[in-house]
Amino acid sequence: MSVYLSGDFASVEPATRAIRDLKSRGYGLGDLVVFSDEPIIFPPGVLRRPSHMSLTAVLGAITMFLLASGFVYFAQHNYPLITGGMPIFSFWASGIISYEFTMFGAIVSTFGCFLWESGLVRKREEAPVPHIQPERIHLRVRCRPEQTDEANHLMLRAGASGVTRL
Amino acid sequence: MAAAPEVIIPYHEVRDDLWRPLGPASNRYWIALSIAFAVAAWGILCWGYQIYAGIGVAGIRRPVFWGFYLVNFVFWIGISHAGTLISAILRLTDAGWRKPVTRVAEAITVFALMIGGMFPLIHLGRVWVFYWLIPYPNSRLLWPNFRSPLIWDLTAIVTYLSGSVIYLYLPLIPDLAQLAEETSGWRKRLYSALSLGWTGSDREWHSLEFAMKLMAGLILAVAVSVHTVVAWDFSMSVAPTWHSTIFGPYFVTGAIFSGIAALILVMTVVRRALHLEKYLLSKHFNNLSKLLLLLSVAWLYFTAAENLTIWYGNDPKEMQVFGVRTRGGYAPFFWFMVFCNFVVPFVLLGIRRLRSITTATIASACVLVGMWLERFLIIIPTLATPRLAAAWGHYAPTWVEISITCATFSAMVMMYLIFSKLFPMISIWEFEPHPPEPEEE
Amino acid sequence: MDTAKTFHRWGMAIDLDRCTGCQACVVACHAENNLPVSDPQSAAIGRTVHWIRVDRYYEGVFPEIREKHMPVLCQQCDDAPCEPVCPVYATYQNPEGLNVQVYNRCVGTRYCANNCPYQVRFFNFFAPEWPEPLALQLNPDVAIRMGGVMEKCTFCIQRVKRSKNDAKEEGRPLADGEIQPACAQSCPAEAMVFGDLNDPESKVSRLAGSGRSSRLLEELGTKPKVFYLQRGK
Repeated sequence: MSVYLSGDFASVEPATRAIRDLKSRGYGLGDLVVFSDEPIIFPPGVLRRPSHMSLTAVLGAITMFLLASGFVYFAQHNYPLITGGMPIFSFWASGIISYEFTMFGAIVSTFGCFLWESGLVRKREEAPVPHIQPERIHLRVRCRPEQTDEANHLMLRAGASGVTRL
Repeated sequence: MAAAPEVIIPYHEVRDDLWRPLGPASNRYWIALSIAFAVAAWGILCWGYQIYAGIGVAGIRRPVFWGFYLVNFVFWIGISHAGTLISAILRLTDAGWRKPVTRVAEAITVFALMIGGMFPLIHLGRVWVFYWLIPYPNSRLLWPNFRSPLIWDLTAIVTYLSGSVIYLYLPLIPDLAQLAEETSGWRKRLYSALSLGWTGSDREWHSLEFAMKLMAGLILAVAVSVHTVVAWDFSMSVAPTWHSTIFGPYFVTGAIFSGIAALILVMTVVRRALHLEKYLLSKHFNNLSKLLLLLSVAWLYFTAAENLTIWYGNDPKEMQVFGVRTRGGYAPFFWFMVFCNFVVPFVLLGIRRLRSITTATIASACVLVGMWLERFLIIIPTLATPRLAAAWGHYAPTWVEISITCATFSAMVMMYLIFSKLFPMISIWEFEPHPPEPEEE
Repeated sequence: MDTAKTFHRWGMAIDLDRCTGCQACVVACHAENNLPVSDPQSAAIGRTVHWIRVDRYYEGVFPEIREKHMPVLCQQCDDAPCEPVCPVYATYQNPEGLNVQVYNRCVGTRYCANNCPYQVRFFNFFAPEWPEPLALQLNPDVAIRMGGVMEKCTFCIQRVKRSKNDAKEEGRPLADGEIQPACAQSCPAEAMVFGDLNDPESKVSRLAGSGRSSRLLEELGTKPKVFYLQRGK
């Protein structure tokens, strides 16, 4: 049975201190989520979550390149018709198609990876979300009931304007 | 123009200003929308008439088999490069001033692509079998001819359209989530559905920013290829002066040029109509004007290079086209095009004292006219002056083609009006009304 | 010899020194291939269809002016620029070297017509019409094209097919000169010769190899199969 606390911070520095303090006390990245109405740039290493987006984009691109080139090769040979003395299949002629499909693969896989990694299309955990106030940073901490006071204290000491229980 | 000091606008005022256009529509809005819709509908009716009566109701003929429709096609695909430049190149170079301008530009891209993509259908002789250009398994075992530049067109435009829609949608998600909280009724349902349950967590933000950075690079690569492929519709031909290696870069430069001009024009209208004078500042118009000037010089460079090589090479068939274009029947259009594309921007924007929002708008309108003429002058004189003189001809558009051309502009206005009523034209989360954080200096 | 298995390569030789510019070939082509009849408005803007046309060139300075007549029809190029640009394979090269136009596949993009340096392709901007009583003389061997479809000279492929069928049924090879497209058949000066370029003994092969032979716009590398014979080129 977890307890969710939301600390309200005015700027990045106190939020960073709070995160560092909580991490040093054993809280994992899965317990700490920052909510805001615009992207907050933390110093490197503070809130780094693993991302596979570049790799996914490259893999998507390569996949679509192979599929597109293979499909064009198959289609041109399936019903071969001579046009203008050109070879039945040539990368000169179909290179553009392969290129566009490569890009298409990269675009779609990037978008798909975004939808997945952001958690927007995954089944949502039923954790409560703090109401986001403009220009504020909210740090939601998931802790066990006996850790509530400790987490509360750490956030207030780091510089939170207030800590509420969700 | 001296740089004005940054005015810090309170956040609630920013939200009110940017969200006010989403409120109830004024009478002026409904009138504008009705007129735009009427003209666009008239264009659709003309197209229907053309399908019914035959494509002969357009002015195309032998030897000018491609006329206004192809000119419009290249023109609108060119306009669609507005969003690419602003969003992608400026994002990659981290130019902060671009931020209030990005959504206006991206919306232009998507709508221009949708309009431009209609023209390959409009110009077909038998449009009801257009689906034969799409590869699908059929009983005749036939596939489209992937060696044809028109199939390259199709692939490139579909890729670019999907990329642009995604690129427009991504930064819209956080705005939609905020709007969903503040509105009610059908708007709330629409925004909630479209925002996919965005909560503003750091994981979501990180993913979004990374995706946008990747997309910026990808969209740039696709955009360059799209207009290159459209240029290669002409380059791959043996028609005199078309078979030129410079067409790829020439068309891309011209596209970015006309895209910036369209962006400035749309920004002026949006700024006035939506009362965004505090957000779309002189600084933005100044920077875009400088870019327009730079592209104008680049356009002149490419045009001069193209025409000089033709003139110096003195190939008889190409000189026939050159003569017709610069000294013959098309000469008034050619020199007017040079005036619109180079002289006007150079004077109005090059002379610092003359550079203002008004002159930028005038210059942009001239550039749009000039770039349309440039597409016209690339297509029609060459087709009218083929290698065998016995087949020479002329071209004149008919009311059908003119109607459809006007209808496309009207359709753009209509789609933009609807878009600006449903979505905020400046994204709040990207726009920084408050002082930037110390790390970013 | 089984004629069905031997691939022909159809070509034509046109003797410009014999051509009088009478345009009987043009008329014959109209009659044979169901070409649409134009009207004054269409003719004024250049939409008349002439699968074969006679171009006139004036050479020399007054008073020593010579008029050269050149019948121009589809050159049936080996490396045809019109073929690769068609997005739907409505035009391609068949095994006998003919550049065939598939009417029911044409979508009407008209890219092929733009790419033809000889401008021998014609588009049906409207559905073709024949004022009465011309509709009664349509050739049943040739398809009527609909509006929105490209057409051009086919070397009278219907006559080629009929002759090949006749020869196959009678179990004999095709004789040289047996197939005559409408234009070659009607030429009073016998300036047009049609035949098999794969047969080195055929008249067209011998004419094509003669010293008077050249091809139109040869520098483009389209490898046309129509040879023009004229002295002093």
